[in-house]
Amino acid sequence: MAVLHWLLNLFGRNKKNGPLKKTYQVEPEKEDRTLSKRLDDNKQVLAEIFDHCGDLVEREIRIGKQGPRALLVYFDALIHYQELEEGVTKPLQASQLPQSGVTLDWLMQEAIPNTRILIYDRWVDVAGEITKGLTALLIDGQDQALLLFAMENIHRPVMMPQTESVARGSLDAFNENGRINIALLRKRLHTTRLAVEKVDVGEVSKTKISIVYLKGYVYDGLVEEIKTRLQRIRIDGVIDSGQIEELIQDAPYSPVSGIGVSERPDRVVSALLQGKAALLFDGTPFSLIVPTTLATDMQSPEDYYNRYWFASFIRMVRWGSLLISILAPAFYVAITTFHQDLIPTPFLITILASRDGVPFPGMVEALIMVLAFEILQEAGIRLPKPFGQTIGVVGAILIGQIAVTAGLVTPAVVVAIALTAIASYTLSSLNLSTGVRILRLLFIVAAGFLGLFGVMAVFTMATFQLCALRSFGVPYLAPFAPLSLGDLKDTFIRAPIWAMRMRPRLQGYVEPVKQDDNKPRPPRPR
Amino acid sequence: MRTGTARLDNGRISSVQLLFIFLIFEASTAILYTPARVAALAGPDSWLAVSLGDGVYGLVVLLVAVTLGKRFPDQVFTGYLPEILGRIGGKLLAAAYALAFIHMGSVFVGEASVFINTHLLFLTPPTVLDTVLAMMAIYGAYLGIEAIARENEIVLPVWLLLIVFLLLLAAKDVDISHLKPVLENGLLPVLRAALFHSSWRGEVFFLLMLYPYLSQKQEALKAGLFYLGLVIVLAVVVHTVIVGVFGDLVTAHLLFPLETLAQYISLGRFVERLEIVVIVFLTAATIVKLAVIYHSAGIAAASTLGLKNYRSALIPIVLITVALSRVLYGTNLKLLSQLFYVWPIEALIVELAIPALILLIAVIRKKGGGPLADQENS
Repeated sequence: MAVLHWLLNLFGRNKKNGPLKKTYQVEPEKEDRTLSKRLDDNKQVLAEIFDHCGDLVEREIRIGKQGPRALLVYFDALIHYQELEEGVTKPLQASQLPQSGVTLDWLMQEAIPNTRILIYDRWVDVAGEITKGLTALLIDGQDQALLLFAMENIHRPVMMPQTESVARGSLDAFNENGRINIALLRKRLHTTRLAVEKVDVGEVSKTKISIVYLKGYVYDGLVEEIKTRLQRIRIDGVIDSGQIEELIQDAPYSPVSGIGVSERPDRVVSALLQGKAALLFDGTPFSLIVPTTLATDMQSPEDYYNRYWFASFIRMVRWGSLLISILAPAFYVAITTFHQDLIPTPFLITILASRDGVPFPGMVEALIMVLAFEILQEAGIRLPKPFGQTIGVVGAILIGQIAVTAGLVTPAVVVAIALTAIASYTLSSLNLSTGVRILRLLFIVAAGFLGLFGVMAVFTMATFQLCALRSFGVPYLAPFAPLSLGDLKDTFIRAPIWAMRMRPRLQGYVEPVKQDDNKPRPPRPR
Repeated sequence: MRTGTARLDNGRISSVQLLFIFLIFEASTAILYTPARVAALAGPDSWLAVSLGDGVYGLVVLLVAVTLGKRFPDQVFTGYLPEILGRIGGKLLAAAYALAFIHMGSVFVGEASVFINTHLLFLTPPTVLDTVLAMMAIYGAYLGIEAIARENEIVLPVWLLLIVFLLLLAAKDVDISHLKPVLENGLLPVLRAALFHSSWRGEVFFLLMLYPYLSQKQEALKAGLFYLGLVIVLAVVVHTVIVGVFGDLVTAHLLFPLETLAQYISLGRFVERLEIVVIVFLTAATIVKLAVIYHSAGIAAASTLGLKNYRSALIPIVLITVALSRVLYGTNLKLLSQLFYVWPIEALIVELAIPALILLIAVIRKKGGGPLADQENS
């Protein structure tokens, strides 16, 4: 019976307890009171609102020598005490009261002139600002509160990127502080075109998300679309950009989101210059770039800093690695299981000899190895830093070596999986590589049952899915499908910088021309 | 822009994508079987048969399709049939077309699965192959014409490059004497072969079902003409190389001449066994072609039955096609008799006769917008 109830509950049809509440109801902050002129009343309301907030500090001071009482309210941990002392408390206490008595204007212009100040008269606003780290100044006889900025800015220093490393190129990365993230962009783009729009998401967490774009470059409707998608979100809290990514992507069921993830400011800047927009977050270094296509997922910022011959070569290596990391195990399975005639005979004999005594069919063998590799990879990430690398490498050797000598798997499959593993690390996009890891298993299974035909069928299905995928209106597989020949210059190859005169057609059409004819010309010989 | 009921699919395809779709029609299943039959009928003059006669036929079909499309730029063929023929007659004919598409689908499913069963997966039950092929294609059809067109933009270039590569490698073995004498038995055998082969060229009639999705409708004719030009070059080269390598007598007895050609190629004892690559890519090409056919079948069924959403019609369609292809075209023999003896006549009716008749009736009854309608609408 209990199980049945649970099941019914699961589907929200338990009539006895009423239907499950499916709609998210935001607890409205019922506070609609306004401040009172009497400080003591205000104190009472404060005590009500910040009930149980043990770290709230209420500090009573007097303005001037005989001036009215005032109350400073702030959260202990969020305040920069020296700043508060120097900038607010001391000037207030030392100030000479004017004839007309204490007015807000006087306070703002004379008493504490150095700080940015907000004024609110509704408790809900005042309380909200206090939770963000502002200091509220309530004055007896005033029914408005001053909110002062004296924040302790808690953040890591700007450090090197953890996931997107380059050999040549800038070495700073975003961090958890939204202000620093924007500063990193402003340091690179000294223009008033750089627009920053802020949206708060999450009813409880009120996470600040900044939509960043270049005015006049970004295509029509993109920013509005981002805003509507963000504002549609009604959720309790947002912790990382990954959650937002999942909530705003075009196709909810797609394994690839079509949203770029980067912690590198230079990558974001180059995206902005192409007419895209980016979302920077408070609380996570990973920003989102929209729209993103497969071609941009395959790019590394370094491609633009290296010589173009080399960059083009590396691009092609990377595309090859993409195919290898998806298909190599599946090919191994298909060829050893179904198409032995594809292998040159001497090599076939070697493989068959090594398969002698291996108890599993090729598919199971490959699945075991792939899963073992995934376990290793996961362990490498989860383990405490000092162990990570060592355990990873040692584990790989142990599993490869021992599994072969114990006769569980063939050396060939170890080679195939190792190649796959290495190839998958060339993908600079986290999103893409996670998608590839899932897809790989599907391909192995398809190859195990239907050989190369199965591989091709799944490949077609996967590309069908990607073909239908759009990223904020831009087809994910552009410029391949739909084909735009001009944009192929920045896909498999990386054309010389001076040859890329036009922005990508689908997202940069507002200002199509990127640069003048900058092809370097040597001076005429004299 | 009218959306929803008239077009049923909100996708848009460009004229280049349309051209690519036509090309994959030719390049997937058409060049698989036909060289044998054409060589049997026309002998050394295969290349002549696939260039002249069916080029003219294709042009006529194209013109009919474009003219009809211009009169009803926002509707698919099966959608405006009732407008021309009256409600009952139109619905009946539309239903017949839906069935014809389903039947075509089953033929091509059978074709591909027989081919794969003979060359790649000998022990796999053909039903499994049928089902997998049909499911992948139906997934494409489900995603819509846009997704299919884009998929095709990935598959077709690779596949065409592969064919060109194949033909280049085989070109050194072409023996010109196999192509002589020209017109030994007069023009009649060539015309017969052309008539046979033209049924594939007439697949350009799918424009009737794709016309409303075109983003630049005035370029439909141009795309069609490009298609005819390209496809004639392709067909002529393929037939010339195959007959040139094997001679017409051998070609006539080959089951899958293109695949045999791929088997035949050996470059430095290193580039070998290309037929597997051919088969594998042919799978992808066939899936795309099937997806287009299923999409048209779904649209036809939906517009006949008055469904709001063609996607709900796809599941029954895939079940019917798989079952049909198993029952009717389960073996190579049944398939060949269909392709060589029934399909040409069926195609003549479905591709040319009926649309031409419809066009005539539409002109007489003054149905549909004038030739200018599309300029106002697009």
